[in-house]
Amino acid sequence: MSGAALDAELGAAAALAGLPGMGPRRLRALVDRRTPGEAWAVATAGHAGRLRLALGAPDDVGPLARAWEAAARGVDPVGVLAAHHAAGVAVRTHPAVAVGPAAPAYPACLVEDPEPPAVLFTTGDLAILEGPRVAIVGTRRCTGTGGGMARELGRELSAAGVHIVSGLALGIDGAAHRGSLDARAGHPDAARPVGVVGSGLDVPYPSRHRDLWATVAGEGLLLSEAPLGAHPAGWRFPARNRIIAALAHVVVVVESHAVGGSLHTVHEAIRRDIDVMAVPGSVRSPAAAGVNQLLAEGCTPVRDASDVLVALGLRRGRRRAAADPRPVPSELEAAVLEAFDWEPATLEHLAVRTGLALPDLAVALERLVADGWVGTDGGWYERRATA
Amino acid sequence: MLGIVPSATLLGVDGHAVTVEVHVTDGLPTFTVVGLPDASCREARDRARAAIESSRLTWPVKRVTVNLAPPTVRKVGSGLDLAVAMALLVASEQIEASALEGLAFLGELGLDGRIRPVVGTVCLTEALGEAALVLPAESVDEARLVGGRRLHPVESLAQVVACARGLEPWPEPGPPARTAAPPAPPDLADVRGQPLARYALEVAAAGGHHLLMLGPPGAGKTMLASRLPSILPPLTDREALEATRIHSAGGFGLPPGGLVRVPPFRAPHHGASSVALIGGGTSLMRPGEISAATHGVLFLDELAEFAPHVLDALRQPLEEHQVRVARAAATVSFPARFLLVAAMNPCPCGHGGQPGGCRCTDGARLRYERRLSGPLLDRFDLRVEVQRPSPDDLFTDEPGEPSAPVAARVRAARALAEERGVRCNAELPARRLDEVGPLDEQATALLLEALRSGRLSARGLHRVRRVARTVADLDGAPHELGLRHVALALSLRVDPHASVAAQAVAG
Repeated sequence: MSGAALDAELGAAAALAGLPGMGPRRLRALVDRRTPGEAWAVATAGHAGRLRLALGAPDDVGPLARAWEAAARGVDPVGVLAAHHAAGVAVRTHPAVAVGPAAPAYPACLVEDPEPPAVLFTTGDLAILEGPRVAIVGTRRCTGTGGGMARELGRELSAAGVHIVSGLALGIDGAAHRGSLDARAGHPDAARPVGVVGSGLDVPYPSRHRDLWATVAGEGLLLSEAPLGAHPAGWRFPARNRIIAALAHVVVVVESHAVGGSLHTVHEAIRRDIDVMAVPGSVRSPAAAGVNQLLAEGCTPVRDASDVLVALGLRRGRRRAAADPRPVPSELEAAVLEAFDWEPATLEHLAVRTGLALPDLAVALERLVADGWVGTDGGWYERRATA
Repeated sequence: MLGIVPSATLLGVDGHAVTVEVHVTDGLPTFTVVGLPDASCREARDRARAAIESSRLTWPVKRVTVNLAPPTVRKVGSGLDLAVAMALLVASEQIEASALEGLAFLGELGLDGRIRPVVGTVCLTEALGEAALVLPAESVDEARLVGGRRLHPVESLAQVVACARGLEPWPEPGPPARTAAPPAPPDLADVRGQPLARYALEVAAAGGHHLLMLGPPGAGKTMLASRLPSILPPLTDREALEATRIHSAGGFGLPPGGLVRVPPFRAPHHGASSVALIGGGTSLMRPGEISAATHGVLFLDELAEFAPHVLDALRQPLEEHQVRVARAAATVSFPARFLLVAAMNPCPCGHGGQPGGCRCTDGARLRYERRLSGPLLDRFDLRVEVQRPSPDDLFTDEPGEPSAPVAARVRAARALAEERGVRCNAELPARRLDEVGPLDEQATALLLEALRSGRLSARGLHRVRRVARTVADLDGAPHELGLRHVALALSLRVDPHASVAAQAVAG
């Protein structure tokens, strides 16, 4: 098969992924026993009968057929592929998709997956996926303690040569990636971050993470099931979570509410027989309700990075923690730290618990914040375990 | 065939003297009102005619012209009714003109000839100068507050005519009704625990700093705010008269005894329109809630639920202590010097303050945060988290510290501010901060660090220094500001928009 034919097939695969409402299951059904080029012709013919046969769908596919016909008007699959290549994005198809013998490489860990992506869009070096990989996931609304823990795990695991897989979302995901980047800033040999996202690789989401997104793309690997320009529709995130689970050797949940996307990732990991570990949280913290439930169900707890390294078989036993580099708090400051009880507190909580006068308490807290013992956020203070 | 009677009309919170001239001449029976009357003023004809006929007097079957001078001032409302009727009776020769010499008239007429009270009696009385005033009996307590003139309280048009004809003496006001002292505002002793919230109230009262309380539902934000009047200094005579004029003109109702002595507490609902809050209206230019709160407290509960344009309209009066309302008919300015206290939940679910506690979606949080503009937020010198009191505090028999000692500390702090030449520390000009609140070395270092880390803006710096000044005044340190004062002032200024997620990645 010539290079032009391969381009036409890959382009058709990319164009198919960009049709409205094209989920992973529909895409797999369309390219099952058809080349992407043939599937493109079927999908965009506007004929509901053919589409029903192709998708095996019992429901009414009339509106879908019309939407796809309209969306395909004026789209040239070869042009779609060229646009991806111009943006530095590789289009990779599952080995079962018949695009020809010279197809670009596809992540080996996804080939045998029960629900593999038929088409993947990537930037960066796929060889990263050959090393040990840990997914760090958790709530977008994390506490300072949880975010700090995710960052610490990301940093120490990366330094130990473990690639961090996460979703680049707000909260835990972003903190884990930042930790990985911290490690790389210190050691060029540290493992690289892997980001799996729900939108097109040119649509950073959330926009607050635009810079993080670019840095991860530059330092490591970004993957998406969505072609360039695809918006972060709500249904794409559960699909994204299954890829995060599938890419990891171990999934670590740092903080999770009783219901949330990270528990969906856990579910996908369990389906695939991938180990799930959880960082214990306060039983009074709503942000730890999900992880504590996992622990109650028998999930392995994570106290620090060495627990994860042991689970990966990279280390035999736990190492002793290094000495704390922070200045030793004064007697009064230590009393304030004790009053936290490892839960978020306001000035008022601390005043009641310590009985200190407000000005004295304010001074102690300023010192503790400056020395890294306490984090602060909009009127709330949190004791921090590490610098 | 001319009758001339002085009266007054209300524009905003100012009374304006009006001369009512009535001319009666032969011709086809008509009744014309000239001189910028509004609709309710024009209706004086119908009320006056019914009242005159009910009082067994004669309505002239002639050509009647009513002129309300000066013609440049808009005449609003029904307060000129009695004056129009009296001028008409003089012009139609039913009363001697000399009988009304030196008398001014205020009052609305009922169709049966009774005389009803009018809104803004205090301001109208002021506008009438030395003239003895014939006015509705129900308004006499208000008019008495102005002092310096004779008052004749009357019940009906027939009574006024009888007095004017010399059949009865002009009635004199009775001794002021002995009224019970106005009910004391709610006391701080009812507040259990909550030391930070109590302290924030004390700083707000002592320094005149606007206060924003952030906290979940049920934290007692409304209860705390309503106790602020009990620790604010009572109004001075001048302030009391100004507040009374506004309440009188706005029809907000006066306390027993008439004079507004206790700092007003106004808590408009978050559905309030901008006219209700700021003042105005089409023809009756009435003061709004912010003026009614003058020398007192304006409490906005559920701040983020107010319409954004209504909140932004607060910014100018917050700076200038008065509000100018311009309409096609007139432009008036109302006093608006109030202490702004607001309360809001940190996010729609109400639990977003506590890290990890929020259950809102990002979008919902963002929309909620956007409702409050940065410039308005900036005007709150004090922004504190208010938490539900602990159950132990609620069931203790020990009451909280009552208002009286707190009020004494507030008065002492205000006295220090007056020595510096301002009413309260919040009004200290930025250029004088170095002189009246010099910083020691550690305090300077802390502020520099806060500026460098972006926790504090240049504008915020002055506000923190003013609050620190008040904190030090309450701490018994009237000169140099130390670390403890600046640290506490910084802690009393939390950023409600600080994002939990942003904090997490920084950690």
